[in-house]
Amino acid sequence: MGEYALLYILFAPFAGALALIFISNRQPLLVRSIAASAAFVSLLASLYLFYAYDPVKGGFQFVQKYEWSKQLGISLHLGVDGIGTPLVLASSILLFAGIFVSWHIKDRAKEFYIWLLILAAATIGVFMSLDLFFLYFFYEMSVIPMYLLLGMWGSHTKKYLEMTDSEGLKLRDSVGFILNFGSNSKEYAAMKLVLFLSAFAVAALMGILLIYKFSGLNTFDILVLREQANLMNIPVLGTTLDKIIWVLVFFGFASIAPLWPLHSWSPVGHAAAPAATSMLHAGVLMKLGHFSIIRVAFEILPETTRELMPIAAVLCMFSIVYGGFVAFYAKDTKYVIGYSSSSHMGYVFLGMAALNYISLSGAVIYMFAHAMATGMLFAMAGWVYDQTHTRDIPSLGGLSNKMPFISVCFVIGCMASIGMPGTVNFIAEIMIIVGSWDKYPLQVIVAMLGIVLTLAYLFKMMRGLFYGPMNQKYSHAHDAISAVDRLPLLIMISISIGFGIFPMHLYDVVRSGVDPLVARITRVVPVAQAHEGSGVRSEVIIPGTTSTVPVVASKLLPLPSQVSRGEGE
Amino acid sequence: MTFSLNLAFSDLLLLLPEIFLTCWLCVVLIVDFSFPRVPQDRLAYLSVAGLVVTLGCLAWFDMNHVSGTLFGNMFVLDRMAIFFKIVILGATILVILASIEYVNRFTLFRGEYYCLVVMSALGMMFMVSANDLLSVFVSLEFATLGFYVLVSYLRDDLASNEGGLKFFILGVLAAGLLAYGISLVYGETGKLVFSDMASAQPTPGLIIGFLLIFAALGFKVGAVPFHSWIPDTYHGAPTPVTTFLSIAPKAAAFAILLRIFLVALGTFKPLWVVLLVAVSILSMTYANIVAIAQRNIKRLLAYSGIAQVGNVLIGLAAGTKMGNDAILFYLLAYLFANIGAFAVVIAVSQAIGTDEIEDYRGLSRRSPFLAFAMLLFLLSLAGVPPLAGFIGKLYIFVAAIKEGLYTLIVVGLVNIVISMYYYLIVVKQMYINEPIDPSPIAISGPMKTVIYVGLAGTLVIGIYPQPFTDWVVSATLMFANFVGPSVTIIPPGASLGG
Repeated sequence: MGEYALLYILFAPFAGALALIFISNRQPLLVRSIAASAAFVSLLASLYLFYAYDPVKGGFQFVQKYEWSKQLGISLHLGVDGIGTPLVLASSILLFAGIFVSWHIKDRAKEFYIWLLILAAATIGVFMSLDLFFLYFFYEMSVIPMYLLLGMWGSHTKKYLEMTDSEGLKLRDSVGFILNFGSNSKEYAAMKLVLFLSAFAVAALMGILLIYKFSGLNTFDILVLREQANLMNIPVLGTTLDKIIWVLVFFGFASIAPLWPLHSWSPVGHAAAPAATSMLHAGVLMKLGHFSIIRVAFEILPETTRELMPIAAVLCMFSIVYGGFVAFYAKDTKYVIGYSSSSHMGYVFLGMAALNYISLSGAVIYMFAHAMATGMLFAMAGWVYDQTHTRDIPSLGGLSNKMPFISVCFVIGCMASIGMPGTVNFIAEIMIIVGSWDKYPLQVIVAMLGIVLTLAYLFKMMRGLFYGPMNQKYSHAHDAISAVDRLPLLIMISISIGFGIFPMHLYDVVRSGVDPLVARITRVVPVAQAHEGSGVRSEVIIPGTTSTVPVVASKLLPLPSQVSRGEGE
Repeated sequence: MTFSLNLAFSDLLLLLPEIFLTCWLCVVLIVDFSFPRVPQDRLAYLSVAGLVVTLGCLAWFDMNHVSGTLFGNMFVLDRMAIFFKIVILGATILVILASIEYVNRFTLFRGEYYCLVVMSALGMMFMVSANDLLSVFVSLEFATLGFYVLVSYLRDDLASNEGGLKFFILGVLAAGLLAYGISLVYGETGKLVFSDMASAQPTPGLIIGFLLIFAALGFKVGAVPFHSWIPDTYHGAPTPVTTFLSIAPKAAAFAILLRIFLVALGTFKPLWVVLLVAVSILSMTYANIVAIAQRNIKRLLAYSGIAQVGNVLIGLAAGTKMGNDAILFYLLAYLFANIGAFAVVIAVSQAIGTDEIEDYRGLSRRSPFLAFAMLLFLLSLAGVPPLAGFIGKLYIFVAAIKEGLYTLIVVGLVNIVISMYYYLIVVKQMYINEPIDPSPIAISGPMKTVIYVGLAGTLVIGIYPQPFTDWVVSATLMFANFVGPSVTIIPPGASLGG
C-alpha cells in the first residue's frame, strides 16, 4: 500500500457502498460481510497509516494530488499531518465497530450499511483534505447520510419532546414545528440536523469563497493559500476582511462541533440516531468542526486566530457547564451521552483557544480519546435500547444481573469518559488543563467542575441502568454473548486503555502536527489594528518586522511571507 | 441593410442539422398519416433516430470546430450554439423516450405529439443560433407555437386546458412585448444584429427597448416577476411536456440572453448588473419560499425550476467569460437532474395515478430504484456534493465572487438551505414514511433508460467535471473578446480547453 494508504482508507468504504448497491437484501450475511470487509480494509490501512506516519519528519505525509478542475483551481489533494492521522484512525475504528454494533439490523440492512459507509467515508475525507473545496465537499456530503440514517433507522423519544402525536401540530414551540419538520422526534431531529448544519456550512462556504477571492491565487489548495494568501488589513464594513472570514469559518464549522449556543441540533440528533450512527456522529462527526477550524482558520489566518480565539475560550465555558448540567438532569440514556459529548467538546475548544503546544496537543488527543469513550457509551446505550426498547433511565435498573459483560464495559466507558488515569482521556485532559492554566485559569476551573459533573451524571446513569432494583418488565434482556457483539466494545476499550498506557507514539504524532501550527500562530507579527482607523488606509500602521518572543519550537519554520507585506499597499 | 442570398452549398452545410431534422419531421408526419396502424412507440423511436443522427452531426461539428454565419449575420453557428443545440436535442430525445408510455393517455393525435415535440426542438435550435433581434423573434415564436399545443394536449383535463390557456395568453403578451422592444431598439440604433449594437449609446428609448426584450425572455425562462404562468402550466401540462418545458426553452432563452447581454449590451454592464441582481434575488427567494408550501410534486419542481433560474442569473450577472462557462455548466447539470426527476414523476404517476407529494409515501419500499434516483436528482437540484448540481452552484458562485457580487452570493447560499428543506420533504415521504399500498412499481424500459442517463449525468458531472468544464470553456471562447469594462483575470487554464 505504502504511499496510497490514504486512497485505500478513503475509497474502501465508497467501494463497499457501491458494491452493496448490487447485492440483494435477501442475503443479509453477504451484505454485512461486504460492509465489514470494506471497513476492515479501511481500518487496516489507517492502522498502517498511523504507525507509518513519521513524527520526526512531521508535516503532511502520504500526499496525493490529482488535478480535478483547472478552471476552478481545484485538485484532489489529500494528505495527513499529525492532527489528521489520529482522527482518520478514530473514524475507521468507529466505522468498523459501528458495523458490528448494527449487526442485527433487519430492516433494509443494505441501505443502512450503504449510508453508514458513505457517512464514514465522507468524514474520513474531511480529515485528509488539503483542498478547501474538497474539505467542504466531504463535509457537506456527510450531512445527507445523517438525515436518512436518523429518519429511517432512528428511534423516537417519547417523553422528552412530546412530539409523538401523529399530526405533529400540538407542540408549536419551535420553528421546526411551525414548518412541520416531522411528525415525531426522529423526523424532527433529522430535519433540524440537516438544516442547521447546512445553514452553518454555507456560512463556512462563504468564508472559503472569500478566501478564494481575496487571495487572488485561483486555487483552493490549503498549502498554497497558507503560504501565499495575504488576507490581512483589508478594511471591510468597519472591520477587516480577515476577521469576517474567520468568524464565518469559525462559527460555520463550530456548529457541528457543537459549540454552545450552536449545539441544539446535536442532542436530539444523538437521541434519534441508531447506535452506530450515534457513535460515528458523536465520535467523529463532531470533530469535523474542530478539525476544519484548525485546518482552515488556524492554517490560513494564524494572526486572526490569535486575536479572535478568546471567543472560543468564553463560549467553551458555557458548553462545558450547560452540557454538564443538562446531562445531569436528563433521564434518557442517549440524551445524557449526547449532552455529555457536547460538554466534552468544550474541553477541545478550551485546548484550542489556549494556543500552546501542550493544550492544543491535548485537544487533538482528546478528540481521539473522546471518540473511543463516547463510541463505547453509545454502543452500550444502543445495546440496552435494543434489549429493553426504552431509554428512560428511571424505568430501568438492575440490568447488571442480566448483562454483566455490558455493565463492566459500561464502567470502563464511564472511567474513560471521566478521564481516569490509565485511559487515553486522562492524558488528553491533563494536557488541556495544564496547557490552558496560564492563559485561562477561570476556564480551567470550569473544566474541573465539568469533570466533577461528568462523574456525577455518568455514575447516576450507571446506577440507574445497571444497579438498584430491577424492573421485571425487562427480565428477558440478555447480555452481549456472541463475539460479534463483544468485538466492537473490546476494540474500543483496548484502544482507549492501550493508548492510555502507551501514549508515546500518539503523542509524537500529534506533536509533530501541532508544533509547526502553534509556531505559526504565536510567532507572527502582531496584527495591525486597522479597524481603529475606521477603515482609513493612511492610518493603518504596520510594524514592519518587529521581532517576537522567541518560541520554544523544536523545528524553526520560515516566517510566513505575508507578515510584512501589508506595508507596500 | 441589404440581403444578398447568394448562398453557397457549403454555407448550407451550417444549416445541415436543421435541414435534416425538418426533413425527418416530414418523414415522421408522413409515416404517421400513411400507416395509422403503426404502433405509436415506433413513431417515437423513429423521431429519436432522427434526433440522434442530428446530434451526431452536431457532435461532428463541435469536434471539427465548424462555425460561421448565414443570412447577413442573422444565423450564427458558433460553439456555444452547438453546445446549446446538443443540450436541447439531448433533452428532446430523453423527453420522447419518457413520453412513450404517457402518450397512451392522449385520446387523439398521438402521432402528432412527437412531431410537435420535434418541431419545438427545431424552433429552439434556431433560437440558440439567432444572432439578431428579428431571428430571435421568429425562432422564439416558432418554438413556442408547438408548446401552446403540447401544453393543452390532455383535451379532457381541465387543468391542462387552463395551463394551456394561461401559457398562451401570457406567451402572446410576451411576444407583444418582445416585438415592441425590438421596434424601439431598432428605432434607436437602426441595427438588428447584436454585434453591431455594441457601440450604441444608452439612450432612454434603447434602455426601455431592452427592458421589454428582457421581460419577454424573462417569461420564457420564468424569472420572478414574469413567472406567474409557470406553476399552473407545469401543473396542468402532460408531465413529459412539463419536463420538456422546464429545460429546453429555458436553455434556449438563456442562449439568447447571453448573446444580448454580453454581445449587444457588453458596454452597459454597470446598468444591467443591478437589474439582474434584483431579478435573481427575487427569483431565488420567492420561488424557494413558495415551494415550501407546495403539495404537488410538479408544482414543487416548477418553483424549484424558478429558483434554479435565479441561480443561473447569478452567473449572468457576473457577466464574465467565467460566468458564461458557469451558466452552461449549470444548465448541463440542471438538464440531467431535472429530466431525471420528472422521469421519476412520470413513472410514479403511471403507477399510482397522482402527482401529490403525499402519495410518494414509502416509495423506497415500493421501488428502491425510483426512490434512490429521485433522491439523487433532488439532492443535485439542491446542490449537495458529490452531485452535478453542487459543482454547478459552486462554479456560479466562484464566477460571481470574482466580480464581487457578495449580496447575491449570500442570498444564493441562504437559498440552498431553504431549498434543502422542501427537497427533503419529498425525501422524507419516500424514505421515512411507510407506504399505504406496498405493491411494487414497475418501470418501463425506455423510462429506465432515461433515469439511468439522468443518474449517469448527475454523478459523472459531479465526480469528474473536468471534461465538461473544458467543453463549456471552449464553447464560450468567443465571449472572451466581448466582455465589458470590469473584466477580471480569467484563470490561465480557462483559455486552453478543447
